[in-house]
Amino acid sequence: MEALTNVLFGTLRVSTPLLLAGMAVLLSQQINMLNIAIEGLMLAGAFSAVVVGAFLGNVWLGLLASMLFAMLFTLIFALFVIDLKANLIVAGLALNILAGGLLAYLLVVWFNTRGVYSPGTLDKLPLITIPIIDQIPFLGAVFSGHGVLTYVSWLSVIFTSLLLYRTPLGTHMRAVGEHKEAAETAGIPVRRVQYTALLIGGAMAGLAGAQLAIGDLTLFSENMTNGRGFIAMAAVFFGAARPGLTALGCLLFGLFDALQIRLQIGTGIPPQLPQMLPYLIVVGTLTMIAVRRKLKGTSI
Amino acid sequence: MGAIMMTLSGKNAMEAYRVLFGSALGSKTAIANTLLASTPLIFAGLGAAIAFRAGVFNVGVEGSIYIGAFTSAWVGFTFVNLPGYFLVPLALLAAAITGGLWCYFPGVLKARLDVDEIVSTIMLNYVAVLFTSYLVNYPFRLPGLANAMSAEVAPQARLARLSPPSQMNISFLIAVAAAIILAFVVKHMRLGFELRTVGDNPLFARWSGMPVPKVIESVMFISGLFGGLAGAGQALGVNYRFIAGFSPGYAFTGIAIALLARNSPIGTLIAALLFGILRSGSSTMEIFTDVPRDLITVLEATVIFFAALEFSFGWLKRRRRGSAH
Repeated sequence: MEALTNVLFGTLRVSTPLLLAGMAVLLSQQINMLNIAIEGLMLAGAFSAVVVGAFLGNVWLGLLASMLFAMLFTLIFALFVIDLKANLIVAGLALNILAGGLLAYLLVVWFNTRGVYSPGTLDKLPLITIPIIDQIPFLGAVFSGHGVLTYVSWLSVIFTSLLLYRTPLGTHMRAVGEHKEAAETAGIPVRRVQYTALLIGGAMAGLAGAQLAIGDLTLFSENMTNGRGFIAMAAVFFGAARPGLTALGCLLFGLFDALQIRLQIGTGIPPQLPQMLPYLIVVGTLTMIAVRRKLKGTSI
Repeated sequence: MGAIMMTLSGKNAMEAYRVLFGSALGSKTAIANTLLASTPLIFAGLGAAIAFRAGVFNVGVEGSIYIGAFTSAWVGFTFVNLPGYFLVPLALLAAAITGGLWCYFPGVLKARLDVDEIVSTIMLNYVAVLFTSYLVNYPFRLPGLANAMSAEVAPQARLARLSPPSQMNISFLIAVAAAIILAFVVKHMRLGFELRTVGDNPLFARWSGMPVPKVIESVMFISGLFGGLAGAGQALGVNYRFIAGFSPGYAFTGIAIALLARNSPIGTLIAALLFGILRSGSSTMEIFTDVPRDLITVLEATVIFFAALEFSFGWLKRRRRGSAH
């Protein structure tokens, strides 16, 4: 029981950046501009959260900075893919490499350090105890006491769902994704809708990075995203770009991540083997949904 | 771009560039070191170029580099009784095959089931890094060593160095030969014609009866094969062993190179030499002008951004539509 609550609590913790990044990728997929730059945007968010937070001595300002900085990076990406008609994949990959190089460069120039920056003076984002649920034996231990961004990540799923299916802007986004030219003819401001979707996603990607940097820890390290942006992207494929299903995919991948962390403690299993698990699960899951798709396709 | 960044952070851009090119091309050893730095980039660039040419966005060459490097080192420190003229080709072949297979599997998934190759190959990169790290930390652990690395390969398994004291070795010549062979294959062989057609117009390729899935699988195998050779070149020619986490992302630089070269094998060779200059000069630049070597990564990203503009036509734009659903 102890182990189960631990793993479930861990699942919700490690799913946080996946959910936020997943919703960001989902919005981009809905406008048919899959945001492969997600990994770099998360890294930018993580970096600015720690650096600005430590510099101004306030973790909340760090959080704000993570959103703004990631949105700034998104703006570069959006400029290239929307206005300059650059290739989506190549531009996204370029932004990931740019973020990695630029942040490593800034670490050396500003802090004279390579790889990791740990200011030591910064507090983590506060943990939140939910009043009533806290008292319930099992539920309390699983759902209460998470960092603030974990709850924000759940809200982001609801927000994305409402945005897409209950607002005019969301309808426009889906129309643009479905058929850009038709949307344009219908008088939808396509460019503005595309920018808005990518920028909202950028803010969420920044928060995803902030969770890694000032939610879980209080440091920035060069490889701290470790493919989580791409795992979130796989969750979007898994969920066919629907908010609920995508969130389910994020939680599924989060579960395996939490399991592998658990497997590393006191089992004597070499840590590299469980660490491989989430990545293999992602490939396995993508394969499974592809097989299902294929079977469905041939049976018609 | 680089000059702007350096000036913004208070560095002398002219001085930095002078040191960079001076230390990359200033003497015989410097030139040899530049060729040394280019070697894995040529292989990685070729691996990226052939896949892109067929319209497959293989990001998994990095994984093949690790798998190939370990396999070649394993052959090198296991079959110590074999003579060099047999052991070296065997180790290279083993690296090429395992590296090729590493990309072949996501290739099959892509070709037969339309599993997005970007996500699958990136995931497998992490698996390759972790798995090889496991191998040298546990089954092939060397007692008494702090760093995770394999045993040294047998002396006769080492690739000959061409210009001591530089570590430049015959893997550079193999890389150049590989570029020439690949150029020939793409231009004149049937597979080359097929992969170009699949890359330019997959619908036409299918209608005209080409085995499109087979072409994609072969291309992914060849792409990974180059990754395996890149890894073997580092393991047998430079480090004489497998070292966990040894690659600073050769394959990602390879992607920039392939895009810069518009996927032409000979262009890739030339672009890799250019990036070799930047790579080998940047370490010295960092020491003498305290401009961090990560600046080169930013330059690479800039190159890719502009390549993204070039590539807004045809072959890559189309592929997103079908595969993400």
